[in-house]
Amino acid sequence: MMTEPLATALAELAGGLRRSTVEVRTGGAGVGSGVIWTADGVVVTNAHVARSDVTTLVLWDGRTVSGRVTARDRRRDLATIAITGGGIVDGLRPATIGHPSTLRTGDLVVALGNPLGVAGALALGIVHALEPGHAGRPRWIRADIRLAPGNSGGPLADAQGRVVGVNTMIAGGLGIAVPVTTVARFLSDAGFRHDATGWRAA
Amino acid sequence: MAGPSIDSPSAGVLESLSNDLAGAVERAGHFVVAIHARRRIPASGIHWRPGIIVAAHHTIQRDEDITVTIADGTSLAATLVGRDPTTDLAVLRVDGITAPVARLADASGVRVGALGLALGRPGPAITASLGVISAVGGEWRTWHGGMIDRFVRLDISIYDGFSGGPLVDAAGRVLGLDTSGLSRGAALAIPASTVNRVADQLLTTGRIARGYLGLGMQPVRLPGGLVERLRLPNDIGLMVVSAEAGGPADRAGVLIGDILVAVGDTPVADPAELLAMLGPDQIGKAISVRLVRGGEPTSVSITIGERPQQQRSSRRGR
Repeated sequence: MMTEPLATALAELAGGLRRSTVEVRTGGAGVGSGVIWTADGVVVTNAHVARSDVTTLVLWDGRTVSGRVTARDRRRDLATIAITGGGIVDGLRPATIGHPSTLRTGDLVVALGNPLGVAGALALGIVHALEPGHAGRPRWIRADIRLAPGNSGGPLADAQGRVVGVNTMIAGGLGIAVPVTTVARFLSDAGFRHDATGWRAA
Repeated sequence: MAGPSIDSPSAGVLESLSNDLAGAVERAGHFVVAIHARRRIPASGIHWRPGIIVAAHHTIQRDEDITVTIADGTSLAATLVGRDPTTDLAVLRVDGITAPVARLADASGVRVGALGLALGRPGPAITASLGVISAVGGEWRTWHGGMIDRFVRLDISIYDGFSGGPLVDAAGRVLGLDTSGLSRGAALAIPASTVNRVADQLLTTGRIARGYLGLGMQPVRLPGGLVERLRLPNDIGLMVVSAEAGGPADRAGVLIGDILVAVGDTPVADPAELLAMLGPDQIGKAISVRLVRGGEPTSVSITIGERPQQQRSSRRGR
């Protein structure tokens, strides 16, 4: 039987990804999600989730920390939130970032987030289409996966748990994610720099 | 880190499933074509036999000026061989097509719980959705009177432009043709055996002949007294609500308001039962129909005609 290892593998993948996913609250109605991108507490989410400059973030273990929006790009619908918890927040685990060029139509993908306020919910689906953009980079990742409001800003990851996109909208029943290649350009434009250890604020 | 550790028994199962699925999409994608035969987005079709494409009838909204786009992006002219609105199938011929043809799965692969991928090409690229076969039943008759060998319901999203595309297994082999046009938008698959049968007939004759009475009917419950007095076979009959002028029933003298209770000695309480008696082999034969007219029994002999071909599709489904 392969269903047992399959369920175990999914549970492990979800457990890992959940630690790198936060709930983003901005005081208004509803919540969104975010992805811990760096070990020093930079969270990437959607601009439409990070509406106010000050936010509350709920970590996977229930801890609540405050965050400040440090960059916002409405065209790409991306934002960064710096965790400002008044000192160092222990145990932040940044997501493993993948690359959409490794994706093929039909590949398994998972989403983590807070659909309709359900914390840390997992969804399973496949890549429906990689919408072509510039220079071989996809413009969008379209996924055959059931998402709901509250998934916005959360991770879309491949079968190895590597984040390949940020879930951004639902169109025609499909989940639409901004590829991490676009996130990298956004971070670079926002003044972050990238080295062997990952992204850092400049 | 995020994934299963390397010595875990579950290590790699998700990756290998993911690879299988992406591999199936890639392999099967070669025989899935885009069909341009309507104003809005293209629909999908399957390269079924060399030069022969099968598609969903309801997506083919014109009979001429049809093109298909194959996996390598080439656009080719297609001619409509024929269509069968009753099973929602159409067959196209494309000369000079180089793409491979569909590889069929064994019919035993069609079972509840089997993983399935629905593939579509509603544009240049192959697109996919994943789910399971949610219900399997026996032979069934569609609302339009066509016979489908097995009822196959899918818990798989049939997105816009997916009708006519294949349901494939995790090895990329075809289990059926997907359509949302047979059951009020619900995702169903037409089994490969039905596609073969209808394609054979359309390729031989260009059409599917069907028996035809030219009647619209509605089941009605008959009063107990009437059933007893006339010794009717059951208490439900089919009331005639329309009769095609000049059609077989009209020529035989059937009137609106007549209640049909039996054909020969067989009681009929459902329009589908009557449709089932109108196979291609019945055309030209006379049937004796028992009626109740104005509370009195009567019978007429109707010579079964051939259903006129429905040229245009309705715009149901995707």
